[in-house]
Amino acid sequence: MKRNAFLLGAASGLAVVGHTGGFFSRALAQTAAPAGDRVLVVVYFQGGNDGLNTVVPFGLPAYYTYRPTLAIAQNDVLRINDTIGLNPQLKPFKDMYDKGQVAIVQGVGYPNPDYSHFRSTEIWETAAPDKYASTGWLGRYLDGVNVPSGNLFNAVAIADVLPEVLVADRVDVAAIAQLNGYGLTSDRSKTLGRDEFHAFVADNNVPFRSPYLAQVASIEDHAQRGSEELPKLIAGYQPAASYPETPIGRSLALAAQVIGSKLGTRVLYVQLGSFDTHTTQRATQDRLLAEFANGISAFYTDLAAHGDERRVLTMTFSDFGRRVAENGSRGTDHGSAAPVFVIGGGVKGGLYGEHPSLDALDAGNLRFTTDFRSVYATVLEKWLQRPAPAIVGPGFAPLPLLT
Amino acid sequence: MIAHMAAPTSAARYRPSGPLDLATALEPYGGPWGTRQAAHLYRRAGFGGSPDDVARATSAGMRASVDGLVRFAASSALPAQPPLADDRPNPGRSSALAAAARAGVTPQSDAAIVEARQAIARAHRDNLIAMEMWFLDRMINTPAPLQEKMTLFWHGHFTSAYQKGIPAQALVNQNELFRANALGNVRELTLAVSQDPAMLRYLDNAQNVKAHPNENYARELMELFTLGIGNYTETDVRESARAFTGWGIDRDDHFRDFPVRHDDGSKTFLGKTGNFTGRDIVEIIFTQPAAARLFAKDLLNFFVYSDPEPALVDAVATVIRANDYNLQPVMSTVLRSNLFYSDRAYRALVKSPVQFVVGSYQLFGVKQSDLVALGALRRMGQILFLPPNVKGWDGGAAWLNSQTVLTRENFASSLIAKMGNAAWMQRATVSMDPAKVSRALVAMILQGDVSPASTANLTAYLSGNNVSASTVLSVENADERIRGAAYLTMAMPAYQLA
Repeated sequence: MKRNAFLLGAASGLAVVGHTGGFFSRALAQTAAPAGDRVLVVVYFQGGNDGLNTVVPFGLPAYYTYRPTLAIAQNDVLRINDTIGLNPQLKPFKDMYDKGQVAIVQGVGYPNPDYSHFRSTEIWETAAPDKYASTGWLGRYLDGVNVPSGNLFNAVAIADVLPEVLVADRVDVAAIAQLNGYGLTSDRSKTLGRDEFHAFVADNNVPFRSPYLAQVASIEDHAQRGSEELPKLIAGYQPAASYPETPIGRSLALAAQVIGSKLGTRVLYVQLGSFDTHTTQRATQDRLLAEFANGISAFYTDLAAHGDERRVLTMTFSDFGRRVAENGSRGTDHGSAAPVFVIGGGVKGGLYGEHPSLDALDAGNLRFTTDFRSVYATVLEKWLQRPAPAIVGPGFAPLPLLT
Repeated sequence: MIAHMAAPTSAARYRPSGPLDLATALEPYGGPWGTRQAAHLYRRAGFGGSPDDVARATSAGMRASVDGLVRFAASSALPAQPPLADDRPNPGRSSALAAAARAGVTPQSDAAIVEARQAIARAHRDNLIAMEMWFLDRMINTPAPLQEKMTLFWHGHFTSAYQKGIPAQALVNQNELFRANALGNVRELTLAVSQDPAMLRYLDNAQNVKAHPNENYARELMELFTLGIGNYTETDVRESARAFTGWGIDRDDHFRDFPVRHDDGSKTFLGKTGNFTGRDIVEIIFTQPAAARLFAKDLLNFFVYSDPEPALVDAVATVIRANDYNLQPVMSTVLRSNLFYSDRAYRALVKSPVQFVVGSYQLFGVKQSDLVALGALRRMGQILFLPPNVKGWDGGAAWLNSQTVLTRENFASSLIAKMGNAAWMQRATVSMDPAKVSRALVAMILQGDVSPASTANLTAYLSGNNVSASTVLSVENADERIRGAAYLTMAMPAYQLA
């Protein structure tokens, strides 16, 4: 197998490369917060983000062959090394990379890739490519850590539907599209008087028995109280950055507010999209990547101003990468492997893994070089400090990208 | 394609407590019959029904009510088909692009390409809305509720989704197939599903040809649709996939058996050897006791209670085999049984989002679904014609989290606010005595299944409860307060349970 020139060979097939080497890298590495205080933020690039136009292999001639209209010109790429660089729209994010705040894991995927949005996203969210799991990998994490059952905000999804990644057996996760609109729309629930209403929705002294009754009553109670209390709990937070007026900007501003309000939240989820760029990809993807870069930059500026940047690790994922060759509509179709970003927290900045070869494709798609469960195992063991095998299965060694 | 690991064993966490009396479980029920039992029957064999439906079933008695449900009333008055837009990719487009490329001509402008894509995306969106509303409106207005409930059951069992280029019409046709075979013969339905154009695309059998066998359909047929993991081997998957080669679709999206694509070599499947076709595979599957057990378990989970005892599953499987997989007598037995009317089965299921919405419409006499309902269903986690994966909807506890529960309550609120003064309001407005009105509401919406404290709270609300200047329920404030009280009743835990 021919390896790309930029790769420093390593027995594991993984290597730290890029501009940060040796002493410099260690000096820039982020010092992490104590374990109990740590937060994980996952950013979902909805729709399948094209990895090749995000982390651009401008040094591989095949890239320009496969992408006659979509390729990013060499001069425009924000260079990381002589082969790899970032989409120019990621400029604020590149600045974070240059400060050692970003690890880029290349070629992340799983065996026998599925090209359905639903199924492939489900695989990423459940970490179960070989079966239909009923919980998400972060749901299983929450189930395993004995989070306080009285806390309504152990995990928060900033989305209007609870994503499968946070579906747990024992922990009820709040899903909040935006603060304005989270909760009951009817003021009838208030005219009764707060205490009576809660007694009412949590009524379990009933003339029947049902194996679901206690759970329904408890979740109704959580939903009522959570939607009432959250706005008050986070009202005192003053953002210290100017967030872009974009959906991801607003979501990350709310995430920082929840984190900074110290509610005991361990996991947050935000999303942006749609990256499903079958047609005229450049305009759509460039806009979304710029929104991501500006949002995440403001987020870490804000966190830093509140002394929270070392408590918060952020990780991205998407449905899949996209087909290597562009299609006839200046877009790309569903593909397989793509890069994952790991940001902030105790990250050792740099490039990880091996960029997938453009010369040995699998039916027009990239062959993955790092299994996504190794990235999850890294986050679980090195950041959240939980054994990974119970959550993502055995045999996925953590990557050396966290201190 | 899915490779496989053993399914996690169920902890039976949601099985009702208390012992099962297996000896009498499937014997006909002879106990008390009243509004609670009638409403229970309508929640399970339908979506809840209107107060009038429940009143009629209460006076008709158990036998006549079950007979009326398992023998479907004619539903010809309902809309037969939703209005659909052409959602096929423009057949000329890709070839035109390729021809232009070959000729060295600049292909169509970006704007033209974008416009074509957007037209298909619009058709997709509009079709999904039309299909969802069509199915919902059938469920709401049907004179044969069990037929629609079984159609929903089959939709979650033999799943296909509006994806992968499947035309909307093919999914509507599949839905009609489920409806036509709602309580028919399961073996015949399984064969029909194996030749259904939407299924042939959804699980890739249209690409299953001798030169390149595709195991996706064969595998899911056994794992999820008929036998369950542990009742077949990987060899059985490969051999049956060979038997299904050649079953595909023609240019008009109809089923076609392509002999040249079929592998007509010998296959060994579940211990039998022969030159099998897909038809033979289905026949062999249904000789396996595991098939009857799988359908028994799924029907019990959907209609009676979660995590049924293995002995109960076996008992129902015996009834299924005794009836050669004809479901009408099977469901007739279940819906008349001691088991079905036992305390252990009562409110022992979580309403699915579809049942929550359809049942609420029926309760309040609203006849037509709308975009508010579709949006609520999406946030509650159930989009008709878009099940999350081939396994269908998990159901049970998976329907419940803070977000879905808030959505349920907000949906109830919006429904209450916009409906006219229908029959339900007259039924509730028995007098201007708040205690009597609260009892009437609790009886109509929950058959009295609330605590005395909640009834008292509701009475206090109807009385003005010190937040209103007027502490008297009067003709002037009755409409507003009774709507509010109905909403609050729907927010109680019992209303989430079927």
